[in-house]
Amino acid sequence: MNYILHILIMISVYAILAFSLNLLVGYSGLLSLAHAAFYGIGAYTTTLLIVKLGFNFFPALACGIIAAMILSLLIAYPSLRLRGDYFILASLAFQIIVFSVLYNWVGLTRGPYGIPGIPRPSIFGFEFNSLPRYLILSGIISFGVFMFMKLIDTSPFCRALKALREDEITAGTLGKNVTNLKIWAFVLAGGLAAISGALYAGYVTYIDPTSFTLDESIFIFAIVLVGGSGNLRGPLVGAFFMLILPEALRFLGLPDTIAPNVRQMIYGLLLIILMRYRPQGLAGEYKFE
Amino acid sequence: MILQLLANGLIAGAMYSLVALGFGIIYTTTKTFHIAHGAVYTISAYVFYLFYRVLVFPLGISLLLGLIAGVILGILIELLIYHPLYQRKASGGILLVSSIGVYVFVVNLIAMLFGNETKILSPGIEKTYQIGTIILTRIQIVELLVFFVLMISYLLLLKKTNLGKLVRGLADNPILLSVLGVEVSTLRIAVFAIGSLFAGASSCLVALDVGIDPNIGMPALLVSAVAMIIGGVGIFEAAALGGFIIGILQNLAVWKLSARWQEAVTFTLLILFLLLRPQGILGKRRRIEEL
Repeated sequence: MNYILHILIMISVYAILAFSLNLLVGYSGLLSLAHAAFYGIGAYTTTLLIVKLGFNFFPALACGIIAAMILSLLIAYPSLRLRGDYFILASLAFQIIVFSVLYNWVGLTRGPYGIPGIPRPSIFGFEFNSLPRYLILSGIISFGVFMFMKLIDTSPFCRALKALREDEITAGTLGKNVTNLKIWAFVLAGGLAAISGALYAGYVTYIDPTSFTLDESIFIFAIVLVGGSGNLRGPLVGAFFMLILPEALRFLGLPDTIAPNVRQMIYGLLLIILMRYRPQGLAGEYKFE
Repeated sequence: MILQLLANGLIAGAMYSLVALGFGIIYTTTKTFHIAHGAVYTISAYVFYLFYRVLVFPLGISLLLGLIAGVILGILIELLIYHPLYQRKASGGILLVSSIGVYVFVVNLIAMLFGNETKILSPGIEKTYQIGTIILTRIQIVELLVFFVLMISYLLLLKKTNLGKLVRGLADNPILLSVLGVEVSTLRIAVFAIGSLFAGASSCLVALDVGIDPNIGMPALLVSAVAMIIGGVGIFEAAALGGFIIGILQNLAVWKLSARWQEAVTFTLLILFLLLRPQGILGKRRRIEEL
């Protein structure tokens, strides 16, 4: 039972990440490989405020969101000037620099030693200290994010983003403010990813930089691509699929030493096959054209 | 001290340059952001290791087999993955994601077969040579020599041979080239073979020098992509210049900061170039729409 609760909590964390990255990849057509960086910034800001300054989880979460939003401007700026492969490379650079800082700024983040003993979130004396309680918290928050995305999905803002994705110059000539649209997409995506980071830190109660590597960015990217992007269903399907798949493989009885590699190989193959035959993913809309 | 670091930087730069030249020739001609170049890099080193240390073949033959394995993987990736997408005129994003898929697949296959731990190819202490205040190991000198030989053959191939002319034509306008009766798909295979050979040469030498683990490909690939952009996209030999700049800067970073900041230095440099001089050092200025 606890096992299922654990998987559901992780799905809710990754669903938020997938929704958030979908704003960039699916709606705006910006392939960003920097999402683990925002995830990490959210986790670290929240954690440091809780552990070092004694904040409650929720105000710390709010600060984490704001921090990630501000830093997302750093990656929004290059996106205004770079296209295609160049933007992907810039986002990758951002990811690696953030990881380097988390890893090497030992004075603040304790670097590779990580931060242990993060208290579980609590509100008005009610502590989310057991798996069912934590699932309630992460479930409510991810449902909130889902509703927010639903609002965005039907908004003129989202239609403008899609227009920009299809043809930036035309969208600009039709009077859409391309600069503002992109900046807002990044700020929102960064803030949402920070929520995941805080939820993850509060759940695992220990964070270190290895949870926020380039590989993690690629994994989040793969969730959105496998599930599909450009609509609400895709990221959700992706998060369920990609997190349940390793558990399903576990029942095949692969030895523990090779199981992680087999799992990654399946992810790799999935990406290749989907790009070849179904670029919109399992349930997505955007086909990368 | 600083001279020694510069020398180390030059040698690291020479090895980066080789991967970058390979990446550059593929990117410039086929417009494929070939992340799986990192997988080619890794597989060359591992096949080399397999024959040299596990099956105890002579050094030369193992090296040759390592290079061949890399070239075969490069060609297979082109034939099985990129070429069908190219014929469908798939976007750069699709090519890149497929390439990530190939990279993840191959690297994890290697990790599954060989294990995740670091493997050393040349145990024991290397013979060293002293030139003034600089101390170089034998492998480092071989690395420099191989770089010069390959760089010169690369330039000769591009500027003096018919194949070189075709490769430059492919970079310019593949459609026009096929109209002129050139078999573009064969030419693409040749480009992938050359690129993979350069990646393999670099990875086998670095493997001899510092050893291997399954994740060596990604850092090498990233550095080579950065080197290509710093040097100037569209100019084949510029990637080598970028490789040397990164090699030297990383080693100076060891001196001023610490080895752990090397990656941050490389990528800060990339961001500065992307924002301030996206055409690279040798590149010609282009409009943003052409990028």
